[in-house]
Amino acid sequence: MAKEYLGEFEELVLTIVGILGEEAYGNAIVAEIKERLGREVNLSAVHVTLYRLEDKGFLKSRMGGATNARGGRRKRIFTITNAGLAMLKAMKEARVDLWKLIPRLNYDSILY
Amino acid sequence: MLKNHSPSENHLNHSLRLLKWFCPPGLYEGIEGDLLEQFENDRKEFGEKKARRRFAWHVVKFFRPGIFLRNRFSNQLINTVMWGNYFKVATRNIAKRKLYSFINAIGLSIGIAFSVLIYLYIQDEKNFDRFHVNKDRIYRLDKASYNTQAAQRGEYPVKRSAYVPLPLGNAVKDEIPEVQYLTRFNGGERGIFRYGEKVFSEGITLVDADFFRMFSFPLIAGSADRLFSDKYEVVLTPEIAQKYFGQEEPVGKVITLDLQGEKQFTVTGLIETPPANSSLIFKILVPIQSHPRYEHNLDQWGSFSFPTFIQLYPQATITDLKTKADTVIKKYMGEMLDRWHKEQNVPAGFSFFEPAYTNLADIHLKTEVGWDKVSDPKYAWILGGIALLIIVIASINYISLALTTSASRKIEVGIRKVVGAHRQQLVWQFGLESLMLAVISMFIGLGLAVFFLPAFNEFTGKGIALISLSMAQVAGASLGIALVVGLLAGSYPAVFLSGFLPVTVLKGGFTSKMKAGFTKPLVVFQFFLSASMIICSIIMYRQMEFIATKDLGFDKEHVLVIPTQTGWSEEADRVVEQFRNKMSAEPSVVDVAGTSSSFSRGHSIYGYKIKDENKRAYVYRVDPEYISLLSLTLKEGRNFDKRIASDGNAVIINESLARDMGWDNPLEEHLNWREDTVGLGSQVIGVLSDYHFLSLNNDIEPMFLSIDKKSTGYLTTMLVKLSPGDIPQKIEKVKSAWAELYPDKPFDYSFMDEDVAKQYNSYKRWMSITALSTGFAIFIACLGLFGLAGINAVNRTKEIGIRKVMGAELSHIFVLLNKQFVLLAVIAFLLAAPLSWYFMNKWLASFKYVITVGWELFAVSMLAGMSIALLTVSYHAIKAAWINPADTLKYE
Repeated sequence: MAKEYLGEFEELVLTIVGILGEEAYGNAIVAEIKERLGREVNLSAVHVTLYRLEDKGFLKSRMGGATNARGGRRKRIFTITNAGLAMLKAMKEARVDLWKLIPRLNYDSILY
Repeated sequence: MLKNHSPSENHLNHSLRLLKWFCPPGLYEGIEGDLLEQFENDRKEFGEKKARRRFAWHVVKFFRPGIFLRNRFSNQLINTVMWGNYFKVATRNIAKRKLYSFINAIGLSIGIAFSVLIYLYIQDEKNFDRFHVNKDRIYRLDKASYNTQAAQRGEYPVKRSAYVPLPLGNAVKDEIPEVQYLTRFNGGERGIFRYGEKVFSEGITLVDADFFRMFSFPLIAGSADRLFSDKYEVVLTPEIAQKYFGQEEPVGKVITLDLQGEKQFTVTGLIETPPANSSLIFKILVPIQSHPRYEHNLDQWGSFSFPTFIQLYPQATITDLKTKADTVIKKYMGEMLDRWHKEQNVPAGFSFFEPAYTNLADIHLKTEVGWDKVSDPKYAWILGGIALLIIVIASINYISLALTTSASRKIEVGIRKVVGAHRQQLVWQFGLESLMLAVISMFIGLGLAVFFLPAFNEFTGKGIALISLSMAQVAGASLGIALVVGLLAGSYPAVFLSGFLPVTVLKGGFTSKMKAGFTKPLVVFQFFLSASMIICSIIMYRQMEFIATKDLGFDKEHVLVIPTQTGWSEEADRVVEQFRNKMSAEPSVVDVAGTSSSFSRGHSIYGYKIKDENKRAYVYRVDPEYISLLSLTLKEGRNFDKRIASDGNAVIINESLARDMGWDNPLEEHLNWREDTVGLGSQVIGVLSDYHFLSLNNDIEPMFLSIDKKSTGYLTTMLVKLSPGDIPQKIEKVKSAWAELYPDKPFDYSFMDEDVAKQYNSYKRWMSITALSTGFAIFIACLGLFGLAGINAVNRTKEIGIRKVMGAELSHIFVLLNKQFVLLAVIAFLLAAPLSWYFMNKWLASFKYVITVGWELFAVSMLAGMSIALLTVSYHAIKAAWINPADTLKYE
């Protein structure tokens, strides 16, 4: 199987969708990223990334129920798929493996 | 709440409509909701106004490929399936209606061929002199000076010229540290070049050693650093080397060059011939220091005759050069300029010499400074305009033919729509058809362009070659033109054709007759363009004919113009005398005369002051035979006479000079043109009737003839009048006589009438271009007309059949069918006449002697245009009128 690769921003959005669970939609993701990382991101960029992740099969989406807010428009709710979770996990592990390979000595000398 | 169209939502509608336009429907609601939610948040945070701005901006940011291209592939799938079908139908249509396809393709391809040629022309103009590596740092030092004559005429009084004093160059190079290299470029010299038996008069260019370091003309032999370290070196182009040395190695050869005195020169280098797009043209390069007058000229600060080029160091700026050059000029020329300023009453703020700088790359299009090959950018505009006209005419053909033949496509459109085609798909289909035709035309057009390029080069005096790079550019450009034309010409028919309602079409309510309402204005416009071009060509032709045949006041037939090849010396006079004696017994030579310059081959003007008034006159040094040889008319007085000693100081004037001086009895006057303080000046012994010694672009200016060699120069040109008949053989006789007398001097000659005609070469060239493009424009317009007339005739076949059955005459039907086209042509002519009259008046303004543009010219043009149009449409009219009504009506 060809190894899928995720960009930094894709990984970030995917993770946030995972965190938000049933409440993941465009604005919520922008707000969450701002709150947790202090990073301003573009709504349009988030949307495009969500659709791309959906194309890759890491996310799936459905329309939520209508509310009184947002001019009555329904939200597009995204949820992470098993493939998405596996991908996140694989990426995290790969990174940890690499992290371990950094020589301790240097690491210490930087810390202290 | 936003739900019920609150005011703020109305404001947002604009942006949302945009979003809806590009956003795939499946995504729209989610995105819109997110945007509105963000708007609500923003409104709380930033206030209404800013939130609204941010909203619009957010919408715009959604316009990205990730959004608007998403999910398009499903549509595309269907489209590509259909494309195969469109392509097939288009090919069938093109093949089925061969005549219309031919008309369209020919028109468009001629248009494209023209545009390609004009594109090449404009590219060539733009790339002039750009091949020099150092072009950004090389400037020509120009002279901007106050011009009294221009001021008197009420023009802007500052005129520019590329000629500056010789010592200024030396001073600039020595005293301004920013100047890296400097060279003079004096191309006007002629000298006699001799190697062994071969002797020819050649154009010589005088330059400094820096020339080779500044300009990027590749050296075939010799090194740029060492060339011209000695002043008796010469560098040749391969043609000249080939001419004198043949297959021998040129470098190291010693040749003799007579440049006002014979000197030996060693060939030390070979340089590539300058390309056609170079403003600097040369064949033989010689160090300027070798010129015999160089030392003398070094303190002639008042003699402006040396074009000078400066190359700056890479880090130096033109501003540095300007300030420092001003100082240098003030230092050496300040006193002289101040004196001139006072003497000539130049208004404050002007000067007789201000330096100006022209970048090397700008020389070609700077028409205000005279230079070789300098060209007016307006010609590029004219050519571009012509190409555009032709393309417009061809596109109109396409549109009108597509509309008038639309009837046959109606059923197809109806069926396609019923089966489920979107209107957009039909637009695509018809667009594709016109694009296909445009692309086919493009290939034909490219072929035509390549075929016509040599002729085009000749017309425009250019040397455009199709090298691989420019070929790629041309292909790109013509593809661009083809696409634009295909889309422009195709869009209206596409929209029109796709708009049919299937119900109406398929019900059969339409007869096969179509409405051609929109095509009429198109035809008028097309005719208007062709008519304007016809009128312009006829007027241009008449003017050129007028110029060629106008009586100039002298007899220019059978006159050979032969340079005496002596340089500026006494010997010139002796050559004329000897040759005259030699030819006196020869019956085929009527007369021999000498002059300082022949017509159209330079002139000298003397300025003088009489009673505090500045006057000027053209001066020709002649001999007594001059007047009779040219059959000039002496109105009063007598010719020069060698036996009368005082004639050496006498002048013969023309009528203009007498008028200029306000003399009633010129023979009693003296012209003090040398500003003698003692004595009265030159006695006037004769008055000539005015004749055109200048081109017809000029008035007849004051002029006088003199035989005084000390003040007016030597007889450097010999005029030999031959008796009529068998000219080539007589030239041979003159040539052998010359070879006998002067075996070591080259024999060059030209005909005076050809010299005079050459002055109008550029006008002639433009006349040919206009005539050619008029021909093409008329041709294409006629093709279109032919097609339209054909459709018209076919549409009315039944009508004509019925009319014939009822007893209509053949002529009646003929008139019936042609009436409307004649009417359209008349309207077009009425529109075209004033426009072309306006443009032609502007063109004629550059001549002093012009034809009168009377109504008969317009009548002739109109008649010509009308008969062409009638001929075109008559074919169909006659054909339709001849058809046996039984054939057309039997199926009813």
